This record gives sequence, C-alpha cells and structure tokens, in this order.
Amino acid sequence: MAKNRTEVADIDRSLYDFSYGEEGFERLDAGLTPDIVTEISQRKNEPRWMLDLRLKSLEIYHRMPNPTWGPGIEGLDMDNIVTYVKPNTEQKNDWDSVPDDIKDTFERLGIPEAERSYLAGVGAQYDSELVYHNMQDTAAKMGIVYSGIEEALHEPKWEAIIREKFMTLIPPTDHKFAALHGAVWSGGSFVYVPKGVKLDFPLQSYFRLNAKGAGQFEHTLIVVEDDADLHFIEGCSAPKYNVANLHAGAVELFVGKRAHLRYSTIENWSKNMYNLNTKRARCEEEGEIEWISGSFGSHVGYLYPMSVLAGRKSRSNFTGITFAGTGQNLDTGCKVVLGAPDTTATVETKSISKGGGISTFRSSIVATPAAEGAAASVSCQSLMLDDISRSDTIPAMDIRAKNVDIGHEATIGRIGDDKIFYLMSRGISEEEARTMIVNGFANPVSKELPLEYAVEMNNLIKLEMEGAIG
Amino acid sequence: MKMPGMTIKHASAMPAPTWSWLKMNNVKIEIPDGLERNCQVEIDAGDALDNAASFEGSVASLQERMDAARAEAPADGRAMIDAATGADRGAEKLDVPALSAYEHRAVRSEIACDIASDFETGVGTDIRAYLNFLAGGTAVLAAEEDEDAEAAIRVTTRAGEASGASVDIVAAPRSTFSVTLSLDSSADAPSFMGSTMRVFADRGARVDITVYLTASDAVTCVEDSGFVLAEDARVTVRHVVLGGAFTATGLSADLRGDRSRIDVDTSYLASGAQQRDFNYVIRHRGRKTVSNMDANGVLTGISKKCLRGTIDLVHGAKGAEGNERETVLLASRGVDNKTIPNILCDEDDVAGNHGATIGHVRPEQLFYAACRGLSQEQTEALFLSAKLEDAALRAPDEAVRANVVRLGNQIIPHFEEEIA
Repeated sequence: MAKNRTEVADIDRSLYDFSYGEEGFERLDAGLTPDIVTEISQRKNEPRWMLDLRLKSLEIYHRMPNPTWGPGIEGLDMDNIVTYVKPNTEQKNDWDSVPDDIKDTFERLGIPEAERSYLAGVGAQYDSELVYHNMQDTAAKMGIVYSGIEEALHEPKWEAIIREKFMTLIPPTDHKFAALHGAVWSGGSFVYVPKGVKLDFPLQSYFRLNAKGAGQFEHTLIVVEDDADLHFIEGCSAPKYNVANLHAGAVELFVGKRAHLRYSTIENWSKNMYNLNTKRARCEEEGEIEWISGSFGSHVGYLYPMSVLAGRKSRSNFTGITFAGTGQNLDTGCKVVLGAPDTTATVETKSISKGGGISTFRSSIVATPAAEGAAASVSCQSLMLDDISRSDTIPAMDIRAKNVDIGHEATIGRIGDDKIFYLMSRGISEEEARTMIVNGFANPVSKELPLEYAVEMNNLIKLEMEGAIG
Repeated sequence: MKMPGMTIKHASAMPAPTWSWLKMNNVKIEIPDGLERNCQVEIDAGDALDNAASFEGSVASLQERMDAARAEAPADGRAMIDAATGADRGAEKLDVPALSAYEHRAVRSEIACDIASDFETGVGTDIRAYLNFLAGGTAVLAAEEDEDAEAAIRVTTRAGEASGASVDIVAAPRSTFSVTLSLDSSADAPSFMGSTMRVFADRGARVDITVYLTASDAVTCVEDSGFVLAEDARVTVRHVVLGGAFTATGLSADLRGDRSRIDVDTSYLASGAQQRDFNYVIRHRGRKTVSNMDANGVLTGISKKCLRGTIDLVHGAKGAEGNERETVLLASRGVDNKTIPNILCDEDDVAGNHGATIGHVRPEQLFYAACRGLSQEQTEALFLSAKLEDAALRAPDEAVRANVVRLGNQIIPHFEEEIA
C-alpha cells in the first residue's frame, strides 16, 4: 500500500506575478561598460568619489572569477542584463502622486495598507529608482532620518557619513557580484537613528523589479547609533518572465554600542531571478543584530547575511527559513565573525525542499584570536518532502580563540513515521499529525516575523495533505 | 638519489566545496626537498599475503550484481537528471534547477553507476600515485571466504628519506580481517612516510583496521585509504594520530551494498606547531546503510587542525543513516581549529545528523582540579596525558605501545612512569 506523504503546495504566485508596460521608462543598453556606469552616475549627479568607486568596482568585476562552489549561474548572461531602468516618475512622498500603474502594483502587494496600519515609514523602489518614500512625523521628530540613499548623498551632512561607510563592510573586492553592485548600484535607503533613540514601529523598504531582463541593485545603508533601537523590514518580489533577471543588492548595517537592530526580510522573487544579494552588519560593544530571513523565490539564490561582532559582548542572532521548490537552487545561510571577547552568536535555520528543488545551508563561524570567552551555537534542520529533491548542509567553523564554546548540530530527513505514529496513538488523524509536524517545523521562524509577514509566509507554505508518492 | 621537493595541491578535497577564503576546501601537502627514496615497510600477514586475490576483480564482481539489479529499476525522470545531462538553459527552462559543479558530478556519477570510476581515496589520486611510486608495488592481503585473517603493517622512515606503503585488502564473503597499520618514525630531520590502502569488504565480511601514527616532529606523514563495501559488509576504522609535523589522514568509503556499515573512530593530538588534516567522505549508495564518524581531539601549543567530514546520502540509499560527531578541546591560546561537517542529501528516506562541540576545559572541571591543587595549565596537561594514556592502553601490540610511550615521553615529562 502506498503511504500518504506530506506535500507542500507550490507557492501561489498570482499575487506577485503581474506586470505593467514600460511606457515612458528609460532603459540603458544591456551589458556592462564604463560608459554605462558613467551614465548611471551622471544621471544621479553624484559626487566624483562615487563615480571613481563605480569605475574601480567595474574593473574588479571584470577581473574576478565567478564562484565555483555554488549553484550554476551559466544562465545569467550579463551582456543581456539591463542594469538601469528608470520608471516614468520621480520620487514622491504621497501615494496619490505616484503614477497609477506603479501605485496599483504596490497596492496589490499591500504596501500602503501596511504603512497605514503599523509602519513608521515606507520606501518603495520600482526597478532602478525609488518612487515613494515617506516617514511619519513622530519618527522624524525623534531625529530619525529615513530617505533614499541618493537623496541623502546630496545632503552634505549625510554625504560625509555615506562616504565614510559606503561599501566598507562589503568592499567591491569581496566577491564578483559585490563588485558588480559597486559599479551599477541604484536606489535603496539610508537610515540614521540617533544616539539613544528607540523606534517602536518598524521601517520598511519594498523592492519591486518589474522590467523584463533587468537587474536591480539597490543599496541599503543603516546606521543605528549607540543605545538606539530599530526594526527594519525589507520585502521583494517580481513578476515571472522567461528570461533571466538579476538582483544584486547590498545591505550595510552599522550597529553602535548597546544598540539593537532587527532586520527582517522575505525574499520572494520570481523563478527566473538570480538573487545574488549581499548583507552585512557590524556590531560595536554590546550591540546586537538580529536577522530574520525567509528565502522563497528565485531560480538561483546566493544569500548569507554576515555579522561582524567587533565590539566586546556584541551579539548576533540569525533565524532563517528557505523553501526550495521546482526548478530552484537556493544556497542560503549566514556568516559570523566573533571578533571580540565575550561575543555570542546563535544561528537557527530551517529548510524545506520539494518538487525537485535544491536547498543548501551554508555557514561559517569564525572566532578570531581576540574572541576569548566567545560562544556560538548553530542549529540547522532540513526537511525533504519528496524523493526527487535535494538538501545539503555545509557548515564551516574556524576557531582560533581560547575559552570559546562552539556548538553545532544539524539534521536532515523526512517526517519520521515514529512521530506520526506517536501523534496518531493519541487520537490525532494522520493528516492532522503531518500538518502539525510541518507547521511546528516552520514555526520558530514565522513567530519571529511581524504578523503580516507571518501570514504571508504561512500562505507561501500551504500544506496539501494528499498524494501517494512512494 | 635525492628527489626534488614537491607540492601536492588540492589534496583531501571535500566533494562539495565552500567559500575559498576559509581555506578549508582542501590541503596542500609539501614533500620536503632532497629526500631519498627508501621504502621501509614490514608486512606480517602470514597466509593472508595473497597476490591471487584482486581488488579490481572483486569490484567487477560487485558491479555485475549491481548492474543486474539496476536493469530492473524504473526509469528516473527527476529534473536533476535533465539538468546534469542537458545544457543548462538557465531561466529559459525554469523547471530544471541550475546545478552546482559538485551537484553535476554527483548526478553524473549516479547515472553511470560505475564502482571502479567512483572509487576514490580520502587524500586523493596525486598522493596515491606518489605513495605507489615510493612503495614500488602493491601488496595484496586477502581473507578467504568464511575465514579469519590478521595482518600487521609497519611503515617507518629515517631522516632525509621518503618511505611509503601501498596495500590492497580483500575480504571475501563472510570473512573477518583485522589489520593494524603503524606509521612510526623518530627521524630528527625532514622526512616523509605514508601509506595508501584500498579495501574491499565483500558480502557479510567484517574488516577492522587500526591505524597508529606516532611520528616525530620532523616527519611529514600521509595515511590514505579508500573502501568499497558490498552487501552486509561491516568495517570499523580506528585512527589514532598522535605525532608528526604535518599529517594528512584521508578516508573515503563507498557503502555500495545494502545494509553495509562503517564506523570510524578518530582520536588525535596536536602539540607545538604541528598540523593535522583529516578528510572523511562516506557515500551511502546502498539501502539501509549506516555510517558513524566520531572524532575526538586535543590541540595545544600553536597547532592547527582541519577536519572535513562528508556524509553523502546518494539518491536511492533509502533507509540510510549517517552520523557524525566531533569534540575538540582547545587547550592553549594560539591553536587554530577548523571543522566542516557536511551532509549532502539526495534522498528523503534517510537520516543525517552531525554535531560538533569545540571548547576549552570547563570552569567546573577547572574548579574540581583546583580543589586538588592543580593549576589550569596542569589540568590541561592532564587532558593531553589522558589522550596519550588511552592510546597506549588500547595499542594493538607491544611495538605500537612502545611507539606511543616514546612519543609521550617527548611531550610529557615522565610519561612512561605515569602509565607504568
């Protein structure tokens, strides 16, 4: 008799899978040349140092090799990727002024509603440019700055901070796609939270890539000063096309002494997307970074938020879930550098693979000689929902400090018959038992998300308790 | 004739690499310059020394059985097969995942199902070729069907010399084979020694291998092995690595037969500026196969260690279970410990578990020792001593025990008296 098997239904992408035309939009030529890079910089009227950084990054990009350890990116031909698409509008700060089709896009994604109900500020990027940015007065009165990064770049006060910090956590030499980002970045947010300021409501940026065959390269730079507190949410989506799209954003987070930053992301790109994103945080003494990360979409994903714990007793917590379905190869995880005494890190990840999808958890925990008394624990669990998928776990630990305490554990498997039997012996039906187990598997991540995001995630993971595979 | 120095790059490579900046994907082995080839290998195997048996022949016989079973298997329509056999069409064919290089290799190996082609040793082909050159030939040790056999292999080297052994072990169905391999040298100038071993454990055979590495601080040492296990075969391996300036230990096992099992127990010690490198690759291809890897070590001084452990649960290995655990005690400031315990899983009806604990002597242990008048340094030295004592007590014969004691006396004053 064939056994019933848990199946997770494919994600219903109808909510995200719609697009509008590009009438009135400006597209640069596809490919990567110094002329294209220079034109992007000139359109933004950037300071000279930024153009120099872009051109240097382009040189680095051309001389660096593709990664050989991760999912194949042969299907990504940079000669066919348009690196800059400007929508037919300038940045607005009220929804009514945003062009109808763009406004309709974000309304269908629930962004204005979220802004009204629980956010302290919203930024919305469409293709290569921000089209909407707004922050509540209460947050502004607290001295918080939340603006487009290009806008901030034209303010002398913020330009100095941006120049000091821009691409220092993620230098263009870090990897090939960091260099690409340095060359063609466009859009993104700048957040500055002054010393001692604690914002009770989150800020959110939403990135929508509408243009076929294009890339999105937004840069997010957040500075949370000493004793301050911020929750920042990032969402992303795109319609599905039959050609490759590329997302190579960068997120640089600076967390001051005793400050706290929670950075929540749901990456829900379409299945033609190559998501080669880079995120990194640096924490000073007793500072804390919390990463909440959900990776659902993309054809190929490389995503490993990194915490550099530079200050004594600084902390990093990473909670992530990855769902790899049909045609997807998602290589996700995190990196932590324990770089000071008594630093601590926890990593808890879950991955689900089904329908021939491939999920890889990849991590590194590096304890430098300065990290005396540091502690880290890594836990990764992978659930295989059928026998045509794949799930790999590649966790690295490099420990060079004394008096450290590093623990790692990982499990891979399917839902155990013993668990089903246990629950059924207590009067629960097999279907309910399977549902309970899979919900319980994802719950540690979803409970960390804001309610609206948890609902979205639960919608993404919709269980279907039928089938008789194997 | 003195041989020029040599660097073997990308040795002990793990199947699925990670970020190269971690410098953990493989290791570089430096063979010192100016060594003279001088094979110093003793094999005490009695009737087991048998050149009529053949590793290749045994593999071919297993291949025939596998091919017959495969002929009845249904066609495999997985998207990963498409991805590995056709050109990567990227986003133009979104139901096909974009495989990584190692995923390509894994799927192609699965399609070919060729035991001989899949055969690998833990340190790799380049070092195996070098060791075969040093050995000048391969000794074949065989256990007859339903018989018991024993063998002791002793490899040594002298200052300025390079010595190597090459051994095939063939355990016929339901036989039992117990092998001890000792790699020992007290050379006081740069030298090299090593062994490369192929092991075939046929249906229901049991093979126990104990390896002791007790070389002095001037010796570069490599211990390389590859295993093929047929149905119901069982292998246990005990690696005890206590000495050597640089050591590379590599083991690769192909659990091809259903219900085959391997248990690998590793105990290591590194002191001073010594470097230890381990690469374990266990590939579960048969159904209900089991592997357990357990490593336990102490690092002191400014020593370095890297352990790569890969459990590969290949598609079709239904009911397989792989477990991996490492416990490391970092007993000094300045040590560098690298651990990468991988699980590769292309089958859902399996269980893969791994864990690692890396730490120092715990405060309650230090307190307990302090109450008995021991300083932190003395307490940490106790762990070192315990590791050596355990190795001496569990040594397979007097000669190996004497090697451990000699090494212990160099590390801990009056070690011999302590364990007397």
